[in-house]
Amino acid sequence: MSVQQPSTVEPLAALPAQTGAAPLPEWTALGPVLALVAAGLLLLLWDTVFPNRRTNTELSVIAAVGSLAALALSGWYLAAGTGRPATGGAITLFAEAITIDGLALFFTAIVASVTTLVVVASRDYLTDHETPGEFYSLVVLAAAGMALLASASSLATIFVALEMVSLPSYALVAYLKENRGSVEAGLKYFLVGAVSSAIFVFGISLVYAATGSLLLSDVAAAFGDLGDLAGVAGVGVVMMIAGFAFKTASVPVHFWAPEVYEGAPAPVSAFLSSASKAAGFAVAFRVFTEAFHLGGEVTAVGIDWALVFAVLAVVTMTLGNFAAAVQTEVKRMLAYSSIGHAGYALIGLAAISAGGSHNGAVMGASMAHLFVYGFMNTGAFLFIAMVERWGVGRTFEDYAGLGTVAPMASVAMTVFMFSLAGLPPFGGFFSKYFLFAGAVFNGFWWLAAVGALNSVLSLYYYSRVVKAIWIEDPTDALAAVDSRPTALYGAVIVAAVATVVVLPGFGPVIETAEAAATALFG
Amino acid sequence: MVDAFAYVPAIVALPFVSFLVALAFGKYLPKGGAFGGIAATAGSFLLSLWVLATVAAGGQHVETLYTWVSTDGIAGGIGPQEIELTFGVLIDPLSALMLVIVTLIAMLVHVFSLGYMNDEGEPDLPRYYAGLGLFTASMLGFVVADNLLMAFMFFELVGLCSYLLIGFHFREPGPPSAAKKAFLVTRFGDYFFLVGVVAVFATFGTASFAGSESFPVLAEHALAGEFDAWTPFGLEAGTWFTAVGLLVLGGAIGKSAQFPLHTWLPDAMEGPTPVSALIHAATMVAAGVYLVARMYGFYVLTPTTMAIIAFVGGFTALFAATMGLVKDELKQVLAYSTISQYGYMMLALGAGGYVAAVFHLMTHAFFKALLFLGAGAVIIAMHHEENMWEMGGLKEKLPVTYWTFLAGSLALAGIFPFAGFWSKDEILYEALVHGLNEPLLLGAWAMGLLAVPVTAFYTFRMVFLTFHGEPRTDVARDPHPVRWNVKGPLTVLGVLAVVAGTVNMVPVQKVLGIEGIDLLHLWLDGHYGGFSELTSHHYAELGPYSSGYIAGGEVPTVLIGAGVSLALALGGLGLAWKLYNVAEPAEHTAALGGVKTVLYNNYYQDELQVRLAGVTAGVASAADTFDQGVIDGVVNGVSSVSLVSGDRIRRVQTGVVTHYAALLTLGVTGLILVLGVLGGWFL
Repeated sequence: MSVQQPSTVEPLAALPAQTGAAPLPEWTALGPVLALVAAGLLLLLWDTVFPNRRTNTELSVIAAVGSLAALALSGWYLAAGTGRPATGGAITLFAEAITIDGLALFFTAIVASVTTLVVVASRDYLTDHETPGEFYSLVVLAAAGMALLASASSLATIFVALEMVSLPSYALVAYLKENRGSVEAGLKYFLVGAVSSAIFVFGISLVYAATGSLLLSDVAAAFGDLGDLAGVAGVGVVMMIAGFAFKTASVPVHFWAPEVYEGAPAPVSAFLSSASKAAGFAVAFRVFTEAFHLGGEVTAVGIDWALVFAVLAVVTMTLGNFAAAVQTEVKRMLAYSSIGHAGYALIGLAAISAGGSHNGAVMGASMAHLFVYGFMNTGAFLFIAMVERWGVGRTFEDYAGLGTVAPMASVAMTVFMFSLAGLPPFGGFFSKYFLFAGAVFNGFWWLAAVGALNSVLSLYYYSRVVKAIWIEDPTDALAAVDSRPTALYGAVIVAAVATVVVLPGFGPVIETAEAAATALFG
Repeated sequence: MVDAFAYVPAIVALPFVSFLVALAFGKYLPKGGAFGGIAATAGSFLLSLWVLATVAAGGQHVETLYTWVSTDGIAGGIGPQEIELTFGVLIDPLSALMLVIVTLIAMLVHVFSLGYMNDEGEPDLPRYYAGLGLFTASMLGFVVADNLLMAFMFFELVGLCSYLLIGFHFREPGPPSAAKKAFLVTRFGDYFFLVGVVAVFATFGTASFAGSESFPVLAEHALAGEFDAWTPFGLEAGTWFTAVGLLVLGGAIGKSAQFPLHTWLPDAMEGPTPVSALIHAATMVAAGVYLVARMYGFYVLTPTTMAIIAFVGGFTALFAATMGLVKDELKQVLAYSTISQYGYMMLALGAGGYVAAVFHLMTHAFFKALLFLGAGAVIIAMHHEENMWEMGGLKEKLPVTYWTFLAGSLALAGIFPFAGFWSKDEILYEALVHGLNEPLLLGAWAMGLLAVPVTAFYTFRMVFLTFHGEPRTDVARDPHPVRWNVKGPLTVLGVLAVVAGTVNMVPVQKVLGIEGIDLLHLWLDGHYGGFSELTSHHYAELGPYSSGYIAGGEVPTVLIGAGVSLALALGGLGLAWKLYNVAEPAEHTAALGGVKTVLYNNYYQDELQVRLAGVTAGVASAADTFDQGVIDGVVNGVSSVSLVSGDRIRRVQTGVVTHYAALLTLGVTGLILVLGVLGGWFL
């Protein structure tokens, strides 16, 4: 897989990089993160200056502008080739604690897109909430943490960034203080998160003890000759896997996900299940390829991590899909489906063989899947947010006949469901296709087969939603559908359009992702 | 000068436009859109003549009009990686000639329909003329196709149109059933054709008919070891090409009603008679033979396929002719004669007689269209009575119909000097001289020769029963008169049935040594215009046959062959004369004894196919059981297993956060233990 740079953007490419006539200073590579941080601080300031404003439109606009700026910057850098081999390689800042490369920018773009959708949709979701100010600042600051997590290249920054994502998330899940489910979910999330963080940081300390460094590159070098400490390092790596599993809602640290996604406000569920999960995968991809020799020869630790991830991927996707099939509530079904998709994305770490020719393709396909997932899953949760706002029930039966009262949004939801199931011609089909094809080319046909079987099963429960919306007769509950929340509608439609537009636009997405992933293996 | 080839797409488009016009505005047009159809086919006919003249002046033309799929390599695929799917036109002597035949017949059928449909007050005329227009357009598209895939698509359109037109009187019970039968039986052959098309693409990466990169040329190179064609399972190139050729042949056998897929054609008589004329003479049935002729360069490379084509053709020629012996209905006799005559064409193609096959395709188009239109005229006159035993004595009342029908019958029976004599004689001659060294081919020739007296017998049985003797019913005594729109087409075709044979008087040339009167040979050999790889002498060079002669040379062989077949034809005619050219003819079928029943029932072909269909129904129901029981069982099993296990998962998900913390810790610990043991960390 060669890295192709469009020649027309060469002048831009030179700007933030070291080459060319007038390059931007290196710190500007952190622009997307800085834009999010700035927006978060501005939101806090606005809330302090106008504490009694009852409308949250301004807050929503500020947050959206900040996340759009982050999206635009990361998109620009991606198009210009910043931090890519063609323009001088990855940009490292703060003594290599932060690395800006294709992977970081790609995931920053995913996080920024999801954040934009979520903050726009939240204007209508939180329209009569008393204190919306904190909500927006927490979302945007958590997004900043996610973007930082995708760029972190030292175990210390990784841990800090991870907590920067986790702490606002706990508060966000419990944000509906009057709602018992929300508060309970927040507490559970916090407790499980605390345990996971403890395990994770313990794992970091063990790795540090074995290698003597926190920088990923130094850790990689030390892994070549661990001596007696191979066991210590191995235990540390496994504990770190647990930390990543918590962020990505994968087995064995997936228990929190259904309860939290169900109890949290729906926009927060969308945010956590799409952006937070993607950020977790970003850091896992980076740590395992750069520090723990995934895709290289098996180190002194004596374990092929790809095989571990293969087992986890199979268990995760199977468990997620099987559990989703028996749910009665749509939101909880989506929560389990989110676990299932974490299993698919894990293929990007699992179908990696030592020196395999398609390693970059598989991991890139996994990244592209997370990109598409960012839109279709966020859109699905935002549709649920809309239904929650209307006060229609939560079960499949309650959704009966929604297509008659909200046709546009229902079409969008149909697109999300079929795309999540992986039906052509929607985005989810292409990303899954490339993912499974990459796995097959790398010799992991059985993994692709399990993934395909799971996709078939998933069609069952996704189509239940579509059936309820379009085919079943409307119930009295639909009388509650009385309003047209503009911003929420807009966000759902935009997500649906993005899911469909991926059809012609998938080439650039998969190429960028594969180039970014290939650079990691280089 | 404006290039005629630029108008080739218009030849196809004009009837298509008439289809659209008749469909959309037929209700508001005079005569239900008939004039639009006549104008369109007349326009196509004139353009075709122009194209023919341009080819005669040394032109040829191949052009890709539209590329609808282009790929620069399919990852992980088999065979050649670069495939383009295109629409294009190929004009060479063969297709130019066929264009003229098809447009001429189509135009005459349109005119005749004025008399048969409009004057008889048939309903739904716009639908009828729309069908005719689309039928003609599809066939013309098939004729000019420059690649196999495009040919296949128009081939299917032709099949669809035949379905629509055979079932035109869909409110009666017979026609819809016949239409379905025609559609399904030909579709059965087309499945093989489709697989063949895919096989051609997989093997050669192209399906074009003409050019140095066409698949017949590539196949030639592959057999010479100069081109590396993809073959499955490591088969020899020759073996695989035979298989591909037979697959494509499946489509031709279905459409051209060759044994064993001929059963749809007699039933197709349920369609309006002008449609039968179009189907039998110029479109649907001709498509199969034309397809084989179009890719003849591929077939001549594989002797096995050639032998099979010849044998199937010879067998069909005899087999169908015997079934025509005892039929009572005018159109039924003609239907079996069509099957039989296309059998001759297949025999010619299989015997290496490319020119002979095209020659017979042409003469047959004229005289069979004539006979069907003549039958249509009789049916008009007889108030839609088709049973020949209800007719008799029509000679006096319908002179134009009688004389033209007689010309057509003489041509069909192969009586000198009518058109059919020349073409049939050339087929038998080719089969004989090539068959002297090939026992299988000689067998095919023998069957073809045996069919000659049978053909003459049933043809004149039909003529005598219909036109001679005393009228046997009141209607026959006072038939309905027919108008110019019936007589006109009959006259044109009647003249052609008499003189068309003169374009290719090979026997005369060989015996008397007059050069240059074998026009069709020169035409198809590229003496005027055409592609060098699509000429008859190129095919002859590639072909597997050598010529042998009897009685010491070419001239005696020609004379003996022609003499024997003419004698046999006259013998059949004479027998029919003796038995049926009397005032009160009797059936005389009792003399056949048990054979009669067999013939009446068409050798129980339909029953056999129904029984075979019954077997397939058994297979289908077994497959259904398998699907319901095993596949669905597995799917249901998976989902119920998943529902049950999903339920387990739900039970683990207790909602108590301490359980989660415990499970989480246990899970991570378990992971550490397993991996630690595997990785040897605790040693």
